[in-house]
Amino acid sequence: MQCSKCGNPKVIYKREQSGQLLCKDCFIESIEKKVIKTVKKEKLLDKGDKVLVALSGGKDSVTTLEILNSFREMNVIDLCAVTVDEGIANYRQEGVDIAKRHAERFGIEHKVVSLKEDYGITLDEIMQRPNHKGSCTYCGVFRRTIINKAAREMGATKIATGHNLDDEVQGIMMNYLEGNTDNLTKLGAKTESHAEEFTVKIKPLREIPEREIGLYVVAKELEVHFDSCPYAMQSFRGEVSEVINQLAEKHPTIKYSTLRGYDKIKGVLKKEMQKEYAHGRCKRCGEPSANELCKACSFLEELGV
Amino acid sequence: MEFTLKYKDLNEKREIPHEDYTIKDLLDELELSAQTVVSKQNGELVIEDTQIREDDEIQIVQIIYGG
Ligand code: SF4
Ligand SMILES: [Zn+2]
Ligand SMILES: [Zn+2]
Repeated sequence: MQCSKCGNPKVIYKREQSGQLLCKDCFIESIEKKVIKTVKKEKLLDKGDKVLVALSGGKDSVTTLEILNSFREMNVIDLCAVTVDEGIANYRQEGVDIAKRHAERFGIEHKVVSLKEDYGITLDEIMQRPNHKGSCTYCGVFRRTIINKAAREMGATKIATGHNLDDEVQGIMMNYLEGNTDNLTKLGAKTESHAEEFTVKIKPLREIPEREIGLYVVAKELEVHFDSCPYAMQSFRGEVSEVINQLAEKHPTIKYSTLRGYDKIKGVLKKEMQKEYAHGRCKRCGEPSANELCKACSFLEELGV
Repeated sequence: MEFTLKYKDLNEKREIPHEDYTIKDLLDELELSAQTVVSKQNGELVIEDTQIREDDEIQIVQIIYGG
């Protein structure tokens, strides 16, 4: 057994879809090359961009930072990072510390924003409320708002998130199965928004399977937070993910073909299905919003904070 | 014939039950999916088809978690 690329007998990975065997160095190189290819193909970066990485300290965001840094080293872009501390005891702090260390290692501007400081309540406190809507609902909405705000404050022109191939395929299938055509138009490598206040979001890892990102950080000995959130539970996303992974065992190319198929119909979907952008403003915080109150503020009102 | 297994807080000696015993066999015994972990043999990353030998140290690192 030897590496299909260089002949090294120390093989660390077998690509099921192609039968390719890779040694550590060739595996690392293949991931970095593929991400750079996605960046170029999808035109995710423009020269002079200041990219804000949403850095949780987990494997996906750390890999995003690590690979985007190669563009920074070539003076194509500048980088900064934001970490959201939702206030989840015995879980989030380690990720925050790891994120800080990576930002220091690269010498980039880094902001840690806590739900407690910004909104006066932690996710743990929200979960004590009897009529809460489920942890992930709040987490997602507050995180998005905080990251958008940080992008404006830090003068970022793009926001990079760590969404990987598995995340993207789950999103496509979930929205399709739920008949949510509006959300289906919002997926893709680069989300563009008509509102100036919303910074363009990019997903450089969107063609990399989650397991390969895990192997990449272990192979590169990058410090990441491997742990599961205490609130992670059986969700529809989890169920969809299970089915896709089951199918992928016998059909190893299925995630790629789902992504390719979506990319082919995306243009038509957007043209036919995308909702007109609402030009309103949230009356409580001033963020762009279709309704009187943005999602984050309507949650805050309900929670009485 | 024994090897050492390291997984999370676990650090124990285990029997090699038969010849051609691979990391894949071990993962099946532990009911772990090869999709959610990576494996090291004596400190170096290896693929799951790798045979476990006497006195090996096998470390399993979980890389995919829910949430
Ligand atoms: S699993 Fe935990 S960290 Fe992830 S969205 Fe839900 S509450 Fe937030
Ligand atoms: Zn090689
Ligand atoms: Zn608001």
